Amino acid sequence: MRTAAIEVRGARRVYGFGASAMVALDDVDLSIQPGRFVSVIGPSGCGKSTLLRLVAGLEPADRGEVGIHGVSPEEACAAKMVGLVPQTPALLPWLSVLKNVTLPQKVNRAAARRRAAIGEAADRVAPPEPPDMAELLRKAGLAEAAHKLPSELSGGMQQRTAIVRAFGLQPEVLLMDEPFSALDEFTRESLQEQLLDLWDELKTTVLFVTHSVSEAVRLSDAIVVMAAKPGRITDVVNVDLPRPRGRDLLKTPEFHQLEDLIRDKLRGAWHTRVA
Amino acid sequence: MTSLDDYVATSPEIERPVAEAEPSRYSLRHPKSRIGFLRPKVWLPLVVMLVVLGALWEWGARSMPYLLPKLSSIGEALADEPDYYLRNAWVTLWEALLGLGLGFASAFVLAVLVSEHAWARRAIMPVAVVLNVTPLVAIAPVLVVAFGFGPEPKLIVTGLICFFPILINTSVGLRAVPPEVVQVYRTLKASRLEMLWRIRVPSSLPYLFAALRIVFPLSIVGAVVAELSAPGAAAGLGTAISLASTMNRLPVVFASIAMLAVMGSVLLLIVTIAERRVLHWHETTRGAAG
Repeated sequence: MRTAAIEVRGARRVYGFGASAMVALDDVDLSIQPGRFVSVIGPSGCGKSTLLRLVAGLEPADRGEVGIHGVSPEEACAAKMVGLVPQTPALLPWLSVLKNVTLPQKVNRAAARRRAAIGEAADRVAPPEPPDMAELLRKAGLAEAAHKLPSELSGGMQQRTAIVRAFGLQPEVLLMDEPFSALDEFTRESLQEQLLDLWDELKTTVLFVTHSVSEAVRLSDAIVVMAAKPGRITDVVNVDLPRPRGRDLLKTPEFHQLEDLIRDKLRGAWHTRVA
Repeated sequence: MTSLDDYVATSPEIERPVAEAEPSRYSLRHPKSRIGFLRPKVWLPLVVMLVVLGALWEWGARSMPYLLPKLSSIGEALADEPDYYLRNAWVTLWEALLGLGLGFASAFVLAVLVSEHAWARRAIMPVAVVLNVTPLVAIAPVLVVAFGFGPEPKLIVTGLICFFPILINTSVGLRAVPPEVVQVYRTLKASRLEMLWRIRVPSSLPYLFAALRIVFPLSIVGAVVAELSAPGAAAGLGTAISLASTMNRLPVVFASIAMLAVMGSVLLLIVTIAERRVLHWHETTRGAAG
């Protein structure tokens, strides 16, 4: 069996102590094969962002294990195998778009060696050469913006820059925390399309946190449904719609059936919480 | 499948020019501000203000000749011995800038330490606050006793007066990086030094410049206070003031004060220009003249 790209076993995370303690994640298991696009959806407080932070190595699990291609999140980050796209673009306002997306290559230069070592141990191909960022910006429709400052761009273009920055690392695992939630519906749909195009080319494993059902259905190979109090996984739904998924797919009955299914599961998760 | 290039042409945000989305911010700034200076609406209020103040001054000088010299006699004092004022101004400026440099260097190093380590913050900040609330005018004579009439007490007083605003602003600025940015670079395992140099220091620049706008003029205050506490020694405009006032030479006193005011204004102007250049990306400099 291949090593999973993301492996979470019995993860538990509690915030606070004693009576005010909040169980953000309770006994969560998740295994994602390389190259899969997996969304996590659930009501607020279900621990979906906590799950993402555990995988990103930004928080430790109180119990259980998290692995990325067989190593710990810390080791994976040290080898620059993990790309993060947060909720806000998080660009540096004094750097041009091009410099913003090239900065990740300039920090932690020892990563390439570490990544090669992990690749050998896990019997995987060595990471490719760093890509031409100007070219990647062009592909994302940001050629004109390359030498502009982030504040001169629209919100959608800023978030697209953040996505290019993450893809530029050619990460084994791409973690996205509600990256489109601050954008209007129209921009959102076009960014989903671009994300799928980039992903199609670079074929990396994606863990995508969202609270939009249609976004999850459109993007994912599988959707993880979570419930709150305590935060846990209630369902994993496979999405076997054909790819590429253009705008026309959004109108098909199969798409709507899946959306309805996910909504039912979410409602189910909600009711178990109340009961 | 929609190809990327097709997509670019139809994308809603690309079709809309950026300047249209934010018209007031960037593109219109320079032409507007240049023409602005020529309009009476802009310069007239200041000219009227200066005329009124000048008239009041002359009236005061005529009715109280022992308190206030005429503007014309201040001008004469400056014109008679320009070398005297320039030489003393140079001494004061040198003290002010060197003291500022010392204060800046030590405050910046401590700000980095304080922003990186909680223990350093707990140890240093209370002491810095006490130092800040202690009146420096009271410390200056003690320093003169300790270090004599040379440049040392002047540099120390100036350095101390500049120290606190830089320490506070820089340490706040170094920590003002949005959490998402920190998370992105933490997942890249950027080293502490890389984070500091590439992210924290540039983020702190707007805060640092706010401090510099305060301490550049303040450095002159520090130098003059120190000179006033150690009269009879060396040169400097503060020394010139205390000498002239003991001899009741009012025009010389006010001519020296005028020199100080001009020096302070020039320093402030230099900081403002530098800030515009360095912080061209920041909102405060962009909106300022728009």
